[in-house]
Amino acid sequence: MHIPDGYLSPATCAVLGGVMVPVTAIAVARAKEVAKSRYAPLIATGAAFSFLVQMLNVPVPDGTTAHAVGAVLIAILLGPWAAVIAVTVALIIQAFLFGDGGVLALGANAFNMAFIMPFVGYGIYRLLSYGSSLSSRRRVLAAGIGGYVGITAAALCAAIEFGIQPDLFETADGTPLYAPFHLSQTIPAMLLAHLTVAGFAELALTAGVVAYLQRANLPLLAFKHRGIAETADDSSPPRSAWRWALIGIGVTALLTPLGLLAPGGAFGEDAPAELDLGKYHLGAVPRGLVKYADFWQHTLFADYGFSSGQHETLAYLISAGLGILAAGAAVFAIVVTTRFVSGRAERSPSAETA
Amino acid sequence: MAATAPEWLLASETDLAPCALTGRRRRRGFLEKTIQATARFLQSAIRSEETASEHGLLQRLDARVKLVSLVALLLAAALVRHVSVLLALLLATLALAVSSRLPLRLFLTRAWLYVPLFTGIVVAPAALSFVTPGEVVVSLGHWFGHPVGLTHQGLESAALVVSRVTVSISLVVLVAMTTSWPRLLAALRTLLCPKLLVLVIGMTYRFLFTLLGAVEEMYVAREARPRSSERSVRQGRAFVFASVGALFGKTQALSEDVHQAMVARGYDGDARMLERSRLTLVDVAWIGACILVVMLLLGVDRAAL
Repeated sequence: MHIPDGYLSPATCAVLGGVMVPVTAIAVARAKEVAKSRYAPLIATGAAFSFLVQMLNVPVPDGTTAHAVGAVLIAILLGPWAAVIAVTVALIIQAFLFGDGGVLALGANAFNMAFIMPFVGYGIYRLLSYGSSLSSRRRVLAAGIGGYVGITAAALCAAIEFGIQPDLFETADGTPLYAPFHLSQTIPAMLLAHLTVAGFAELALTAGVVAYLQRANLPLLAFKHRGIAETADDSSPPRSAWRWALIGIGVTALLTPLGLLAPGGAFGEDAPAELDLGKYHLGAVPRGLVKYADFWQHTLFADYGFSSGQHETLAYLISAGLGILAAGAAVFAIVVTTRFVSGRAERSPSAETA
Repeated sequence: MAATAPEWLLASETDLAPCALTGRRRRRGFLEKTIQATARFLQSAIRSEETASEHGLLQRLDARVKLVSLVALLLAAALVRHVSVLLALLLATLALAVSSRLPLRLFLTRAWLYVPLFTGIVVAPAALSFVTPGEVVVSLGHWFGHPVGLTHQGLESAALVVSRVTVSISLVVLVAMTTSWPRLLAALRTLLCPKLLVLVIGMTYRFLFTLLGAVEEMYVAREARPRSSERSVRQGRAFVFASVGALFGKTQALSEDVHQAMVARGYDGDARMLERSRLTLVDVAWIGACILVVMLLLGVDRAAL
C-alpha cells in the first residue's frame, strides 16, 4: 500500500500533507500531555514496533506469506493518537532509508496508513467491544474486525487518491500525467486485493496478538484499557443513564428517513385553505387557525424543504439534522446554565462558613 | 572510521538452483523469510553507512542542502510532462552515482531494476484503449464494433509514470546512500520537523536494531528446533502472533528502562541537539547548480509543449 513518488500529482501530495500536519501536531500535543517525559521513549519504541510488525511475514494457507500494517493493533495497544505518530515515524524511516513509499507522497501514505487506518479500525474495535470484559472473546473478534475494516478503509482512500488523478491531470490530447487508472478501475482492484488477502492477514494479526496478550500478558493489554473489568466476573463499572438516553436519541435520529414515507399530515399543518372541512364536520376554518396560520413566515426550511422546492429528500434530511442540532444545543445550554446557577448557589454558603 | 560489512552478511542466498530445470526451488517458509528480511535490513543499513563514508561528490555536501535539493528535484520530476526530459534526469542521477563512488551494481539494482519492473507491470494495462481512450497505435481487433488496442496516449502515460517513479526512487536512493543517518536526522531537525519528532525518529532508529535482534533470536530459536510433521500454517501463525505480543512486552520494558536512564541523565522532556555544521563553498555551488537544473528542466519541458 506504500504509494511511491510519481503516481500522485504534487497537488494531491500537498493537500494530503497539509491535512497530516495538524493531525500530527494534535497527536504530538495529546501524547505529550498524557505521557509527559515518558513520551519520547514510549513513542519511539512504538514506532520501532510498528516498523518490525510490517517486516514480519504472516503465513497464510497455500504456503505463501503476507504482510500486515499493524496500525490498528498499535492503536489498540497504545491508543489511536500514539498510533498516528508511531506509524508516521515508521513511514518516514521507510521512505528516507529504504525508498519504500515516496518522499513527496509521505503525506498521502501517512493519511492512509497512519490516520485513516488506526482511527477507523480503533473506532470499530471500541464499538464492537463496548461493555465486554478485557479477557472476553468478543474483544478478540472486535480487534480482528477492526483490523480488517481499518486496512480496507486505508486501501479505499489510496484507490480514491489514484483514481482521481486521470480526471484531474491530463494533457490536451488526453494523456494522463500521473496514475492512469480511473476510479471505476482503482476501487475494485484495491478493494478486491484487500478484502480477500491483505484484510485477512491484518484481521489474523490484530486478533491473534490481542488473544495472545489475553492469555499471556493481560496487564500489557490493560495499559490502554483503564476502567475495564479484566474478566466477566468482576463487577463492571456502572453505566450512567445518559448513555442509554444518547443511544435512544441516536437510534431515533437514524430512523428519521422513515418520515419521508409517511403519507398525509397533521390537522391543518400546511395551510388552513387546504383543510378538508367536510371530513372533520366543520362549517368553517377555526378563527384562531386563520389568525395564527401566517403568524411566522421567517423560516429557514419552510415545509422541511429548500425555498426553491428542489431536492426534497436532501432538504428533509438536512432539516432533520439541523433540528436535532438545535434541540441538542438548547438542552445543552439549559443544562450548563442550571449547573452554573446551582454551582454558585452551593459555593456561596460554603464561602460564608469558611 | 569506515564500517565494513562481514562477508557472510553480504553473501547472496545460495539455496536457489541456477535454473528451474536442474533443481527444484525450495519454497521458503515464513521463518526463513523473516530472518532473511532482518538480515537484509541490517545489510542495507551497514552498506549505507559504508557508502556514506566514501569521499565522493554527494558525500561532501551538507545533509540539509541535500535534503532541500532532493525535494526540489523530486518536485521538478513530478511537474515534468515529457519522458525524454525525465530520461535526461535519470542519466544525471547515474552520473551523480558514479561521481559519488557508489557501487554501481548496488545502485542499479536498488533503483533501476525492481522498481521500474514492478511499476511497469502495474501500469501496463493503462496502455489499452479500455483504460486510456485515444488514438489506437497497435490494433488488437474489434470489440462490439469499436477498435481495441494500445493507444498512443496510454503508452505515453505508462512510460511517463514508469520513468517518473524511477527518477524519484533514484534521487532518494542517492541521498540515502551518501548521507549518514545521524546527519540526515540533524538536517530534518533544522529544516521542518519539530525537535521532538526528530528526537523520536532518532531513538526509533536505534531501537530498531535492538528489537530486530530480539526478533531474530526468537525466529532463529524456532528454526533451530527440530522440525516435526505437525507444524502447520495455523501453528506458524500462532507463533507469529505470540512473537509480536512478546515483542510488544519487550518494547514496553525497553521504553521504561530508557526513560529512567534519560531522567537519570537530566532529561526533562525537552529535546536538545548538538551544534550543526556550516555550509561550505561546495554546498553553495551545488545549490546554484540545482536551481539551474530545475529551471532548465521545467523550461525545456514547457518549451517542448
